[in-house]
Amino acid sequence: MKIQIYVTAILVLLLGSAAPIVGQPKLSVDIGLGFYEPTLTGFDENDIIQFPTKSIINRNLLLNWGIYYEFFHNARIGYNSFTSYEIGKNILLVNSEAAIRRSLIYRMFPIETFFRWRPRIELNFTLTPIWGRGRIEIDTTPGEKVEDWNYFLSSFGGSPDQVSDMGATDVMINDWIGYSSMLGFRYYFNTRMALDIKGGFLNNSYKDDGWRVQRQKVSGPKMKIDDLPIFSIKFVYGIR
Amino acid sequence: MGAHLNASNNVGEQMPCDHPLLELAELEGIKAIPIKDIFKLKKLMKECENDGGEKRVDKIYEKDWNRDYNSARRMSSWTSTHAMCVFVSFAYYFAGKMFATVPSS
Repeated sequence: MKIQIYVTAILVLLLGSAAPIVGQPKLSVDIGLGFYEPTLTGFDENDIIQFPTKSIINRNLLLNWGIYYEFFHNARIGYNSFTSYEIGKNILLVNSEAAIRRSLIYRMFPIETFFRWRPRIELNFTLTPIWGRGRIEIDTTPGEKVEDWNYFLSSFGGSPDQVSDMGATDVMINDWIGYSSMLGFRYYFNTRMALDIKGGFLNNSYKDDGWRVQRQKVSGPKMKIDDLPIFSIKFVYGIR
Repeated sequence: MGAHLNASNNVGEQMPCDHPLLELAELEGIKAIPIKDIFKLKKLMKECENDGGEKRVDKIYEKDWNRDYNSARRMSSWTSTHAMCVFVSFAYYFAGKMFATVPSS
């Protein structure tokens, strides 16, 4: 009898601890696209270096992915990232015909509240801080890096001798903070899958003198990425 | 949970409509099914429908929709305040975009 009581107690404990696992899904992932319109003056109006021609893909399109956890009946937190890419080659520097890769990543840590207006339709409200990162990578000729990098950096308007030594990694990075607010509409195809459309704005406190190469402060391209309307469309899948 | 998993391994031995995965979907919702068992559940639902359990499968879907809808149809606690903050910032921003004028130099 005692053993039966123990077994029952253990079963109750196990089932009790399993209850949250078999409860309603809390975790979802999403992937999609974003659209915005920054003004990248440092690239588009550069008199010294001919950067790749601007297009919708390398200016207005953002790749978007995210992961969310529903921590309350009507609220989720998560991580969401919008990335703008640009790739080009044959950029003429002093000693090299360099390839260039530029990315602007808007990393968001949103709090999203929502309600179901209809069984298939959800309206959501997102407020998020942004940790933005700009990254410019160029392939230069080994041994001639410093001259090429100084030429490249001076094209953005800084002094002609901003870097004195270069390591193996040819990359310049800038971090900034910002915030964003978005209203969204989500249509559920079934209880797991949905299409989410959002609209709102981005505000970034980007400064063109905050770039660094190999821990050396340098000046970077002028970009107007504050006060921007943004739209996104994404596919959402509820995991658990 | 262990009992469910053990039982779900013996698919061939029982009627599809009586399968523990289907019972779990009925009781806790379709999204309570572990992701590795989703295709098995789909297969079981098809088989159950073919065995005359069409209404039961429809009910599982309906209950799942209702469960999600009822849990999120109204904003509770602080969430409405948050939503209002978002809405106000959104409206303020776009109203500014539309109506603000640049001061002349």
